[in-house]
Amino acid sequence: MSIIYVLIPIAILFVAIGIGIFFWAVRSKQFEDLEKEGLSILFDEDKPKATPPNKPDEH
Amino acid sequence: MAAVRCFHCHETVHTGERFTLNVDGQQHNFCCAGCQAVADTIFSNGLADYYRFRTAAATKNDALPLDLSAELSQFDNEAVLADISQQHDELTDIELSISGMSCAACAWLIEKQLRKLPQLHSVSINASTQRALLRFDSKQLSLSAILQRINEIGYQASPFVADQEEHKFKLELNRYLKRLAVSGILTMQVMMLAFALYFGEYTGIETAHEGYLRWISLLLTIPVVLYAAKPFVVSAWRSIKARQMNMDVPVTLALYYTFFASAYATAMQTGEVYFESVCMFTFLLQLGKFFEFRARAQAREATSNLLKIMPVTATLHTEQGPQPTSARRLQTGDIILVKAGETLPADGIVKDGQSSVDESMLTGEYRAISKTIGDTVLAGSVNHDGLLQVQVSRVLAHSRLGQIIQLQQLTLSQKPKLVEKTDQLAKYFVERLLVIALLTFLLWYFWWDPSRAFWVTLSVLVATCPCALSLATPTAITCALARLNRQGVLIKNAQVLEVLPNISHIVVDKTGTLTEGKFSLQQVHRVNPALAETDLLNLVANLEQYSEHPIARAFAPYLTQPLTLNDVQVAIGAGIRARWQGQQLKVGSAQFCGVPAELEWQVYFTLDNQLQAKLQLVDKLREEATALIQQLQQQGYKLGMLTGDHSVQAEQLTAALKLDFMHKGCSPEDKVTEIQQLIAAGAKVLMLGDGINDSPSFNAAHISVAVQSGTDLSKNQADVVFLKADLRLLQNLLQGGKQTARVIKQNLGWSVGYNLVIIPLAVAGFVSPYIAVIGMSFSSLLVVSNSLRLLKK
Repeated sequence: MSIIYVLIPIAILFVAIGIGIFFWAVRSKQFEDLEKEGLSILFDEDKPKATPPNKPDEH
Repeated sequence: MAAVRCFHCHETVHTGERFTLNVDGQQHNFCCAGCQAVADTIFSNGLADYYRFRTAAATKNDALPLDLSAELSQFDNEAVLADISQQHDELTDIELSISGMSCAACAWLIEKQLRKLPQLHSVSINASTQRALLRFDSKQLSLSAILQRINEIGYQASPFVADQEEHKFKLELNRYLKRLAVSGILTMQVMMLAFALYFGEYTGIETAHEGYLRWISLLLTIPVVLYAAKPFVVSAWRSIKARQMNMDVPVTLALYYTFFASAYATAMQTGEVYFESVCMFTFLLQLGKFFEFRARAQAREATSNLLKIMPVTATLHTEQGPQPTSARRLQTGDIILVKAGETLPADGIVKDGQSSVDESMLTGEYRAISKTIGDTVLAGSVNHDGLLQVQVSRVLAHSRLGQIIQLQQLTLSQKPKLVEKTDQLAKYFVERLLVIALLTFLLWYFWWDPSRAFWVTLSVLVATCPCALSLATPTAITCALARLNRQGVLIKNAQVLEVLPNISHIVVDKTGTLTEGKFSLQQVHRVNPALAETDLLNLVANLEQYSEHPIARAFAPYLTQPLTLNDVQVAIGAGIRARWQGQQLKVGSAQFCGVPAELEWQVYFTLDNQLQAKLQLVDKLREEATALIQQLQQQGYKLGMLTGDHSVQAEQLTAALKLDFMHKGCSPEDKVTEIQQLIAAGAKVLMLGDGINDSPSFNAAHISVAVQSGTDLSKNQADVVFLKADLRLLQNLLQGGKQTARVIKQNLGWSVGYNLVIIPLAVAGFVSPYIAVIGMSFSSLLVVSNSLRLLKK
């Protein structure tokens, strides 16, 4: 069981890294808008310009 | 045939196939020219993805007013731009608030549309706060061009300056997130180790391993007690200094006593450790506080989005012709030009021109007041029809508007406060708990078993740990805030919910609150029965289209068929004349139409100088007002009206609605005095209003509520804002307050009851650590799930 003397400190190191990343995310304002970014993957970044629609005359 | 829905805004199309668009061989129908134009722009810019991925329909887009670009170009003036933006080297930073955003796809759409402008260096749109942050080169790209571009795709953007308070809120929210992460992630770790220790207790564990796990737990708990729990310590310390014990005192005490006792046990290798309780307790409390704080921060953002920066611009009359400038830079003696529809930027005296002016926001008087040479005009009032040349007598900061703002800041410090019930209970509870803990320690130390004294005292503190008690109020309030928010009631001040059940008097403003604050057609008297009423009103509405006057707007709903009118002439403050099918049409005052005036009829209509109809216009009572006031009176509230209006309408309304009291002709100062008198007599007052003239009294009342249609200043000051112009929300608010109070009472009842049972057992030494922890967690869970009931319904 003496392996825990090695494994637990390693686990703590990972936890510290995790918290560090979270702090960085908060500081770089990634939590300010949780709605938009979730959707952004749906949109193509640069799409060839669509053909302009034909506008019929107004009756 | 099933109703056709507008492709853009999903509203029913009433116009048949008048507005359509062909995209990729598919025909889309639209409800109006506005929606069609927007969709056309979106398609031709290759942004059709918006329609595929949006999760909510767009807001209906009214056709753009023709003078929009003129209006927007006011923002291009250098002085004005400097007031609302920040300069970074060559680039200008500006924040815009955008209305009309309904889902995250809107944010994408606007961003895409703006990125097409090469002079725009960066743009970021926040979908949850509905704001945009732009950086651009103001020398190459004008702000009005940007605003116009946003307008083309159906959103309205206006410059916006976030207040200092909001900035602080944002920083605090980030701190909450970090503390949550620290306490949450570390709780998981400590919990994992605690499980190892639990099992070790049953199956046996090597002393060396046990000691090691305890040391690690201690290490992991240190950031939690020192960093994540810091707000509790600060608040507890502040309350002790002020000699007003609050809930954070027992929280801090329990946290630190438990922590140090466990640390002692770890170092000395005796007794029990409770690190996992310390961590979980901190995490749960932080979570509750975080949600409460976020709900309030969102309410604050939403209300400040409603604030438009106005009046920012003024037109200076100089020898070189009219010159736009910033209103804040006006000086006494300057001559300014005020066009129809503009807001007056300063107090002044009319030098030239005549017009009628709407002062309702300042005085509560809903009828327009006519102004001519030599009359005084007030900043913040709206010029209706004529062009005025005004000599500035007092600049914005010293104007009547500025005075009212000052008065309202003065009353802010005098806002009556009710002591929060939970704090009283906390004080009571903390004192007793400390005495009991001390007695337990002494009892065990001197009489029963000195070696167990420390640990029994600890289990008393853990078992009675005020977790449930301190979660009772914040969880209930957070859930109630969220639910009311969904119904369109924004609560900016969390104390409101605790005060609501005590309210005894409701004071309302008249113009704009009880009434709609605008003219609507009450009655039509046809002199010539040959002309049908719909045709007659259509004719009048066609004529009135040409006027900016508030009376003219009352006829807009009656426009059924556009007619061709020739030689249209608008006589300011009198009426409109035009030729139609060879006939002379006139609509306006009795004098203008050349007929005898009668008191109850305001507008007359003639055809070739033959009187056709007399029309009566009134400021109509809101539909829901009568029923609402009756209900409130049945529930035992005393209702009163304070209005700045002098007219007899105030008395008529009081009689019709059977109000308990009424004061008319009140200045903003009078309203404050009236409310302070009520409060001095022991009443708990809720004030419902909309205008600038109500805002000082907002601070005098226990709770203030502003209606959506109200002015920015009142919305900014009020504790509560209704997002819809519907007075029935008041009923929701009052009911929400009562339900919250009931849930809080149940929560407190449970946690106090639980403590009463567990304390004697813990004092007697029967409560083992596991039972103490399970009992604590169970009662906290019960309290939280009871509060969650408020979210439903």
